[in-house]
Amino acid sequence: MDGDSSTTDTTQLGITGEYMTGGTYVLQTQDDDGDESFNDHEDGNGSKDYFREQDIYLPIANVARIMKNAIPQTGKIAKDAKECVQECVSEFISFMTSEASERCHQEKRKTINGEDILFAMSTLGFDMYVEPLKVYLQKFREAMKGEKGVTPVTVSEGLGEELTDDSFTGQLPAGLITADGQQQNVMVYTTSYQQIPGVQQIQFS
Amino acid sequence: MSENNMEEKVEQATNSKNVSLPMSRVRLIMKSSPDVSCINQDALFLTTKATELFVQHLTLSSYKNGSGKETNTLSYSDLANAAEETETFQFLTDILPKKILARDYLKSLEEMEKDDDNL
Repeated sequence: MDGDSSTTDTTQLGITGEYMTGGTYVLQTQDDDGDESFNDHEDGNGSKDYFREQDIYLPIANVARIMKNAIPQTGKIAKDAKECVQECVSEFISFMTSEASERCHQEKRKTINGEDILFAMSTLGFDMYVEPLKVYLQKFREAMKGEKGVTPVTVSEGLGEELTDDSFTGQLPAGLITADGQQQNVMVYTTSYQQIPGVQQIQFS
Repeated sequence: MSENNMEEKVEQATNSKNVSLPMSRVRLIMKSSPDVSCINQDALFLTTKATELFVQHLTLSSYKNGSGKETNTLSYSDLANAAEETETFQFLTDILPKKILARDYLKSLEEMEKDDDNL
């Protein structure tokens, strides 16, 4: 043992596997490549499904696009930030799913439904998403039924005029239902779901 | 087989209805959770849409809070800070540890050793 009091020899410093004393730190090498791509096995449209459980991520291009649209036009995003959000997203989905699944089991059901997901969000601190999600879900359901074509459709008065193919391009601001804040349910029976110009919504009240 | 047709219909519907994440992949991730058997269509859609909202929320929150004002760039440490400081994002702290350089860590360890010696 030398007399030198400073040492970087890890054994003398007593570093073992678990050497984190407080907080969690990741040692970063000075040249941080950040080049690890989690998408290597995702090329080829999922034809090879050899994903390890912890490697399942959403495509980084989609994630990056949403990120880019969220910040001001002039902003930029570091590459490792994109990859990081990609991982956070998988974590978020798992987090929601296990909470929803637990509730499902408690109620002795086998299928996770929309209510379970919304409940999980509320419980886990994301209740600000719940109301906008309900609106999106309604639009989604209408779109689905529209494509099938034969079922009766419940249409909210405020959204009735907007149900053309091209109207779903913008981001839906939270809380938008109708101009006057009221929602009226209207049953429209048609053989195929088309906007018929000049025909007023029939109200069965 | 009907489930596959359903998948296709859902993809079509959602492509034209402003969902920008692949629902099939979202389902894969959901299924990797233990004890998950069936996921209904609404649940899958809601999760996908919520994930979009989450990305926007996390990104904007971290950007506003972080060094973006000066550098205009969202960095990893902005995200790590958001995870630590915002209650809603605290579930991410395990996967977003703050990074320090190895030499700084070793230096702080040495200082701790010295303190111990001085006692």
